[in-house]
Amino acid sequence: VIVRADPPPFLAKGRTAVRNGGKSFLILVVLAAALPVWAQPFTIHWRTESRPAAVEVEGFTPESLRALERTAGTSSAAEWQRMLAVFAQQEDATMAGAIAMPPMAGTWSVQRDRLRFEPRFPLAAGVRYRAEFVPAGGAPVVSYFQLPADNAPPSTRVVQVFPSAAKLPENQLKFYIQFSAPMSRRSVYEHVRLRQDGGDPIELPFLELDEELWDPAMTRLTLLIDPGRIKRGVKPQEDEGAVFEVGKSYTLTIGADCRDAAGRPLREAFEKKIQIVAADRVSPDPKRWKVVPPASGTRDGLVVDFDEPLDHALALRLLARGDGRRWKKASG
Amino acid sequence: MNKSTSFLAISVFALALALPRAGAAPTEMKAGKPELKAANQLAFGPDGILFVADTKSAAIFAIDTGDTKRGAEAATVKAEAVNQKIAALAGTSADQIVIEDLAVNPISRNAYLAVSRGKGPDAIPLLVRVKTDGQPELVTLDNVKFSRADLPNPVAGPQNQRVEAITDLAYSDGRVFIAGLSNEEFASTLRSVAFPFTTVDRGTSVEIYHGAHGAFETRSPVRTFVPYKVGNESQLLAAYTCTPLVQFALDDLKPGAKVMGKTIAEFGAGNRPLDMIVYQKDGKDYLLLANNRHGILKVAADQISGAAAITKQVAGTQGVKFEKIDWAGVTQLDRMDDRYAVVVRSGAANAFNLETLALP
Repeated sequence: VIVRADPPPFLAKGRTAVRNGGKSFLILVVLAAALPVWAQPFTIHWRTESRPAAVEVEGFTPESLRALERTAGTSSAAEWQRMLAVFAQQEDATMAGAIAMPPMAGTWSVQRDRLRFEPRFPLAAGVRYRAEFVPAGGAPVVSYFQLPADNAPPSTRVVQVFPSAAKLPENQLKFYIQFSAPMSRRSVYEHVRLRQDGGDPIELPFLELDEELWDPAMTRLTLLIDPGRIKRGVKPQEDEGAVFEVGKSYTLTIGADCRDAAGRPLREAFEKKIQIVAADRVSPDPKRWKVVPPASGTRDGLVVDFDEPLDHALALRLLARGDGRRWKKASG
Repeated sequence: MNKSTSFLAISVFALALALPRAGAAPTEMKAGKPELKAANQLAFGPDGILFVADTKSAAIFAIDTGDTKRGAEAATVKAEAVNQKIAALAGTSADQIVIEDLAVNPISRNAYLAVSRGKGPDAIPLLVRVKTDGQPELVTLDNVKFSRADLPNPVAGPQNQRVEAITDLAYSDGRVFIAGLSNEEFASTLRSVAFPFTTVDRGTSVEIYHGAHGAFETRSPVRTFVPYKVGNESQLLAAYTCTPLVQFALDDLKPGAKVMGKTIAEFGAGNRPLDMIVYQKDGKDYLLLANNRHGILKVAADQISGAAAITKQVAGTQGVKFEKIDWAGVTQLDRMDDRYAVVVRSGAANAFNLETLALP
């Protein structure tokens, strides 16, 4: 979008006023008025195809640009913003009130025949941007820009919930939820539900941490059952009861409204059925594991039968090959 | 099984006392650009030094803010809709701004916020300063004096899925204390490292567990903590995500030692502590604890030092007496001085406000 405005005097008032004081400013404005410095109207251009994106103002005379150049190195952001400011418009209701929002952070430069502003951060889809160029004594030139909002259909899904076993001990502490693509944080607990079959959702079954325990790629969430509701004889358990009871069945649901990193919902909700059996208070014993080596001369896998479900992440991480390299794959 | 034993034994695993290796020289702060991958927790040290916990890098950065001009005694900070103003500065919408932590520079009285621009794996960390004029500004880190301490990570490499989320950070008497929680092992860790930073040794860690129980179910994540002094003895008060307020003496936390923590209050189920501060009023020390469910609780410190340990099962909240303070919607809390606290609290229409409140 390009908005044109009447040609104004050539120098930004802020710059001159700060550098030379009021008197010089007046003289310059008078000079400016006497010279044909606005050979063309100022135009604002959004350069969003290249990286970094930029906002450029064209329409300066060579003389006025040279004047800008001379002071460019010492101008503060506040001084530049009086001439060219770009705003990311905030749509929340508070914005309708009288709270003034600051312009975007970035850097300004004079390039050949134009003034250029590079925002410090990339432009975001769906946000409405407004650029304001204020020529000295002239009417502001305003221009708007908006990248299209992301309307792609949902594609992310839950791949698996670990432990993958259907029967879990009463003192099960941890679940890992593996997603097919990176997710976003700060609302995941709103979309994860645990319900005893035939009953209402259990209130606050999980330990809710502001940090949310994601892996670095943000495709795997660690979900902890509130440890206070596993321990016997401690306060949360006495107040709210244990989360799991032996012999009962439960459904863990990850709702489709859980958002991925692009802000899109999941393709579909995911359900895991759980049957609760007696608590497991015995540490894993590698002596009980059965190791079935591959047949000689084949590329068959090595099979380790653990005898019981193990912690998915720790099993993958802590079972090492003799040569110190990681396994390609391990089962949940 | 002994019910509700409130002594938390603290044994060999998580309070890495981070003894410097023999002869390890402190790391000097050098000018440059600290490559922050995330800014999760903040704490001020001496002389305007800001400690920034970066969970993604598994590191603590010490950044010299140069913000050492003493603020006027009456100076306070206030910024309405601070999340929207930060979004405007960072060129995005307010729903993409996450305020991770707040710390007040005790010298200048300016407020600093650790912020994430975005909620996914590509989120950009920001450091924002709100001066007494109420205008948030981005703190430029392109050329600052800084040093860095890396936390020991048992698993390194690009395939690593293990993360240790840093849940709180505090500076006291030349040491930085760091609480963390792994996304794989269920173990809460509390480390310390000397500042100026020395090479972080794995040192000795301390695991905090419930005395009556064994194995994993005894470990509990520290959510927030505050160092404070009773006489000459340095104490650490730790609030747990799912259990009580626990006190222990820093001097007891020796490598290899087994330390008994003292449970001094139970705040009930389903509550999450958010932040804690200590301040002095009319010659008395007080603790202020912000919670998601119980709001702000004020506890007199003489009650803490003289508190009896809770050693049997309790009904409702119990332990030291506390007073509920009517500050609604507080999500971040830090101490400005003995008279004021700075908070971030929810306001109208998805806005969060940064405010200075007189301490009760």
